[in-house]
Amino acid sequence: MRDHRLFLLIPLLVGLLVSCAGPKPVAVPPPPAPPPNIFVLLPDPDGKVGRIEVSNPRGSEVLMEAGQATRVAKAEEPPTVPIKMSDQEIAAIFGPAMAALPTPPVRFILYFERDSIELTPQAKQFVPQILAAIKDRRSVDTSVVGHADTAGSKEYNYRLSRRRAEAVAQLLLAGGVAPEILEITSHGKDNPAVPTGDNVSEPRNRRVEVTIR
Amino acid sequence: MRVSAFLGLALSLLAASVWAADGETIGSIKNLRGQATVVRNQQSLPAQVGLKLIKSDILKTGSNSSIGVILRDDTLLSLGPNSEIALADFAFSPNEGRLSLVTRMTKGTAAYLTGQIGRLSPQSVRFETPVATIGIRGTMFAVKIEDDRP
Repeated sequence: MRDHRLFLLIPLLVGLLVSCAGPKPVAVPPPPAPPPNIFVLLPDPDGKVGRIEVSNPRGSEVLMEAGQATRVAKAEEPPTVPIKMSDQEIAAIFGPAMAALPTPPVRFILYFERDSIELTPQAKQFVPQILAAIKDRRSVDTSVVGHADTAGSKEYNYRLSRRRAEAVAQLLLAGGVAPEILEITSHGKDNPAVPTGDNVSEPRNRRVEVTIR
Repeated sequence: MRVSAFLGLALSLLAASVWAADGETIGSIKNLRGQATVVRNQQSLPAQVGLKLIKSDILKTGSNSSIGVILRDDTLLSLGPNSEIALADFAFSPNEGRLSLVTRMTKGTAAYLTGQIGRLSPQSVRFETPVATIGIRGTMFAVKIEDDRP
């Protein structure tokens, strides 16, 4: 659209210059606006920076540094080469969205006595802190998830970690947590804290994670 | 022995009522400013802090509004004013190998911090817009989409 206007402007300008004596101020057409669709990579709350790939059928760009942005005019044009956006510009455009981003969830990791659903004494001490966090955050979505390591059969581990989650949930319910906010489940051995090969005993993977959102 | 059996039964009944099999909760609204809406099954619900969200919900903010949500895998998502995003697909069942998180943004501004699904299976996370799609590698980003519709 703008190109058409530029085209019309130029013959008009030429016409004016020729017909008038003496120099006349020339209106400079404004530069085309940058594409309005913006994708910018930001650091995590802990300062780590990941990667995103922005793609459409015409091309793709990878963003790897905090503040790097690519713009896309439309689906039929490739994303632009990434450039750094200033903090001010990011704040001006994304301020309201970023201010609305919730605080990350609070997670407690509880460990158990070997092969049992008994919490270690140290894990038991977490329970009042968990109850306080649920209250403070007014959580309606708290998960109690059992995890197992890769030693032993999948079924045995799934059942044991599930029973451990239920034991923790029971403590929370006894502490006054509303049942409808709790999700009690097990990820078995499929969501390890410390990735290991199969059949590896790893105490750090035998845990219940309570995540308060 | 009897006591622990009773407790086990009570807990499993409670667990069943918490997360309904159909319309299963995928997250909830944590922050809200001004007027925002959740479109569910083509009906508009007023957004409220604490409202539980389900798959296919569409979040919409008005001109003076913003909203922040947390999904069940700890993904954080927020919208600035005049924005719209659909929670198109969500599955978080590592034990069953079901992992998926697809969001579809139509317009406005959004900020996004990936959660556990992005860590466990980056290729299962997609952030779609009318002009391009984002593939995620465990990270935080922001997006602005111009509303092109007449």
